[in-house]
Order: sequence, then C-alpha cells, then structure tokens
Amino acid sequence: MVDLETLLWRFPSGMMGWRNLRRNRVRTALAAAGIVIGVIAIASLGMAGAAIQYNTQSNLGDLTNRITVRAGPDSPHVGLTETQVREIRSVTVNATVIPEKTTVTRLSAHGRDARVSVTAVENPAPLYTAARGTVPERLQAGALVSGTVADDLGLEVGDPVKYHGHLYRIRAILDSNAQGLPGQGSGSLVLPLSALVDQPYSSVTVVTTDGDAAVALANQIETRINGERAAERDHELVSATTLAGLRERIGSLMDTLNLALLGIGSIGLLVAGVAILNIMLMSTIERRGEIGVLRAVGIRRFEVLRMILTEAGLLGLLGGGLGALCSLAIGLALNAVLFGDATLALRWPSLTYVLYGSAFGVGASLVSGLYPAWKAANDPPVEALR
Amino acid sequence: MSVVELTDVVKRYQNGDEIIEALKGVDFHADRGEMVTIIGPSGSGKSTMLNIIGLLDNPTSGTVTLDGRDVSRFTEDELTEERRSVIGFVFQEFYLLPMLTAVENVQLPSLWDSGLARHDRAVDLLERVGLADRLDHTPDRLSGGQRQRVAIARSLINEPELLLADEPTGNLDQETGRTILDELARLKDEEELAIVAVTHDTQLEQYADRSVNLVDGVIQ
Repeated sequence: MVDLETLLWRFPSGMMGWRNLRRNRVRTALAAAGIVIGVIAIASLGMAGAAIQYNTQSNLGDLTNRITVRAGPDSPHVGLTETQVREIRSVTVNATVIPEKTTVTRLSAHGRDARVSVTAVENPAPLYTAARGTVPERLQAGALVSGTVADDLGLEVGDPVKYHGHLYRIRAILDSNAQGLPGQGSGSLVLPLSALVDQPYSSVTVVTTDGDAAVALANQIETRINGERAAERDHELVSATTLAGLRERIGSLMDTLNLALLGIGSIGLLVAGVAILNIMLMSTIERRGEIGVLRAVGIRRFEVLRMILTEAGLLGLLGGGLGALCSLAIGLALNAVLFGDATLALRWPSLTYVLYGSAFGVGASLVSGLYPAWKAANDPPVEALR
Repeated sequence: MSVVELTDVVKRYQNGDEIIEALKGVDFHADRGEMVTIIGPSGSGKSTMLNIIGLLDNPTSGTVTLDGRDVSRFTEDELTEERRSVIGFVFQEFYLLPMLTAVENVQLPSLWDSGLARHDRAVDLLERVGLADRLDHTPDRLSGGQRQRVAIARSLINEPELLLADEPTGNLDQETGRTILDELARLKDEEELAIVAVTHDTQLEQYADRSVNLVDGVIQ
C-alpha cells in the first residue's frame, strides 16, 4: 500500500518546501496574505472593469444597433418619399423599419399649454418605453406623451389630447430616461401616422440586431437608393447614419479603463512580491546553516535551488488559490449589488481576470523566490556552516 | 591505499590587510578501518583541515586525493557528488532538520536521488544506534545524545568510505559522549570506515587508532 507521505516524498523538493512552510505558520500566513491581497486587487479590479464594460455595452446596444435614414444633400425632395421607404424595406432583412413624420405643435390642457414636438409613427414599440400605461405594437389610435410634457400639462393615461381637431386618448406616459436620439422617435407627443398623413417622411429608423449589422445595412441602403459612388456623382439622395463611431470610441475608452484598473491592481501584486522576496530572503538567511548542511552532505546546488523555488511556488499557489476564492466572492457580491445578477461574475471575461490574478500571484512568488534560492544554492557550505 | 591523503597542504586566508596561514604544509592520510583523531588547541587549524579533507574547502597549495584521485581539478558539482557518495559528516551541532522525523533526517542525503528507496537502510541504521523506537520523532523530541546518533546514522546512509566528525561529543555530557564513541568505534569495524575526528576531548583519544597533533597549522 502506498500512503500519501510516501507518494509526496517522490517529490522531495515539494515535501521539503511544504514542511518548511508549515514550520513557521505565522510567517507563511502573512506571506500568503500578501499574495491574496495582490490577487484580489488584480482580479476584482479586472472584474469591475469587465462588469462596467458589459453594462455599458448592453446599454449602448440599444443605440448602436439603429440606423437613421434621412434625405441626403442632393435630394430634390423634402424628407423621404414613399418609394424610398419601400426601397429601404426591400433591402432590410431581420430588422424593423420604423418610418416617422415629425412636426411641432402647441398642446393645451387644464388651462396650461406647451410647445411640443410631434412624431407620427405606425410601430412605436421598439423606440419607446412606457413609464405608465403600455406602448402598443401598432399605434392606430390614441397618443403617447413624454413624462415631461405630461407633468407640465398635468396629463394622465386615459386623458384626451387634441391635435388638428382630432381627439387622441393617451395610452402611455413615456419614460423620459429612455428617450431616443433625434430622428429615432424623439417627439414629446407620439401620434398615429394618419395624424400627419399629408406630410413626407422626415426619417426612417431601422432597428437591427447589433452594431455590426447596423453598419452593414446602412451601407446597403445608401447603395441601393443612391447607387455606387454616390458622393462623387453628387447623388446622395439619402444618408443612412449609425453610432458605430461612438461605439468604437467607447470600446477603446473601456480598454483604457481596464488597463488602468489592472495597472493599479498590479501595484498591489508588486508590493506582495516585494514582501515575499523579503520573507523568503529572511527565511533562507535564517536557515543558512541548515542549507549548508544540505550542501555538505551532498545535496546539489540545483536541488537546493529547486527546493526553495518550490517553497516559493507553493506559497504562491496557496495565496493565489485563496485569492481566487476571495475574488470570486467579491465578484459575485459586486455584480449582485451593481446589476442585481451575481452570476455575471461567472461569465468568461470575469473569470479570466480571476485566472490572471492567481497566475500573476504564483508568478510573482516564483520571481521573488529566485534571488533567495540562487543565493542559498551558491552559498559556499564552509561559510554557511561557520 | 588511503581513502584520503593530504600532501603539503597550505591554506591561507585574507583577513583584512592580514594574511593568516591556517595550515602550513600538512601531510596526512586516513585508511579504511581506522579512527584518526586530530587534536589541538582552538585556532590551530583543525576545522580548516577537516573542511579540506571533507571537500568543503580548497587548499591554497598542496594536493588532496580521495581514493587516489586528485580532487583539485574537480568542479563544484563533482565535489558535491563525492561528498554525497564517499564522505559522511557528523557535526558538533548535529544539524538535523527540525521539520523532518528521525528516519527522514537519516534519508536526507539520498532523498533527491532515490526518494524513500533508502527507507529500509535508514531504519536499519537507526536500529543499530539504538533508536528503533524513535523513528518518527522530530529532533525537538530527542535528547542530545539521540540527536547525535541520528546524525551518525545520516552520515552512513550512502555507505561512505570516510566519516568526518567535528567535535562529535562537544555538546554532550561525558557519559553520553562515551556511548557515541562506542557507537562510532563499532560502526568503524562493521562498515570498514575511515573515521577522522577533530576534538579536544581527551576521552576521544582513547578510542583512536592514531592521533595527530596540530599546533599553529603544523603537525607535530
């Protein structure tokens, strides 16, 4: 029967390192605590960065996946024509096309009045979020009013508003925070398309799946309506724009932020590394005579080197493992508090930072162990034993 | 043939501006099956001589031969190899590793070569020095005499030809010292060892086959 000790002794460096670590538990615990803190610094800052990035991207996702199509500089028309809207629909697959007409009017209720922008749209659901009431898939009757206008005029869901002699019943008060960008359903009063029947379309919003799809589709729409090389031929009848540039800039901002966070975390690990260097150096100086005996009885230099490096490595594994567990706990708590979903910490980008953190912990330990190990291995035994 | 032979060995140290000549042309040899003691007052160069015999230090001039081989051109790693396989060391301070048990301490010199393959020999050696019931004790649970016996067992694990002892009884009371010397004398015969012991313990002389007197780096 092979018992555990016998098995472990097959790796004498590991066994000796382990016994040495157990000899001075307080010192080992302190050294490991240094690494734990360093690993937590790297991992949790990295995870925080990943969480911010994830959150920003999922918020931005609502804006960057949209295309706004308007009349171009060379268009003979005011706004977009029915034909152009049909052409936009014809090139669009897997995306929602929302043509809209806009104007400005004066709205009065309860003796107060306000100047409001009006958007007429047939399918408002992808553009608006209701604070109260519901935004219908198809708006054929009734109206939606922004929170601000509703507050100014004292309007509630179910109240009537009057536009050009027609009464529209309010079906939803809109969430002001979720307002789209100009040309993407920005109006304060949203009416059915029939309300502005005589006007041309001012713009068309196309909601696609993601930012990349939006950029591709925008190009397709322009090519379809304007033809090839429209800019050179002064033939920009429509222009289709996306927020791809914004997305890229925010992406690179996030990368910078992540690097900065990791940099701050690395300082923590650097400090831990110096602490380990100090502790390993003290420990080998204290054991100088012992190491001299090892050398005297015929233990080779590289075996002494390996023994001390293994000791440092075990210290790193200990600290790195504990640090990983702590960082994971912190990550779960962080995501639970910030986004109400603790499991976000278990997503791959987050987990990689935990792995990076512990790998850096083991690495820092090994690097810090190098000098003490080298010094101990090359100490002449006759000096060490004096 | 002698196990170890020193011919006209000189050792000089630089100590600040001063040059100290610790050994001034020493000739010495030790054969298998004999115990030689090196006796002399402190500062006479005894320890320096033992370090040179044990390949822990190089002479400034002169030759050292081990089993007839001149070791002056040996690299550090070759010297380590010789120390491992040919020489056993016993120190005044015992120098056992505190985190290892008696039987693990005995196996220490062979651990990196053969793991625990020498376990049986280690147990056998500890039994022979009377520590059969202390195999799994760590040094802090052993008396001084018991520790020195563990150290002696450790020095013999690799079946050396030469055992070097630096004041082996220096930290022990007279009675315990005597049992240790009995042990060494017996092992010398059993293992056909050459033992070189440095001491100023007169008791040790009684066990020696031969004694050399070192005064001021010169053998009298």
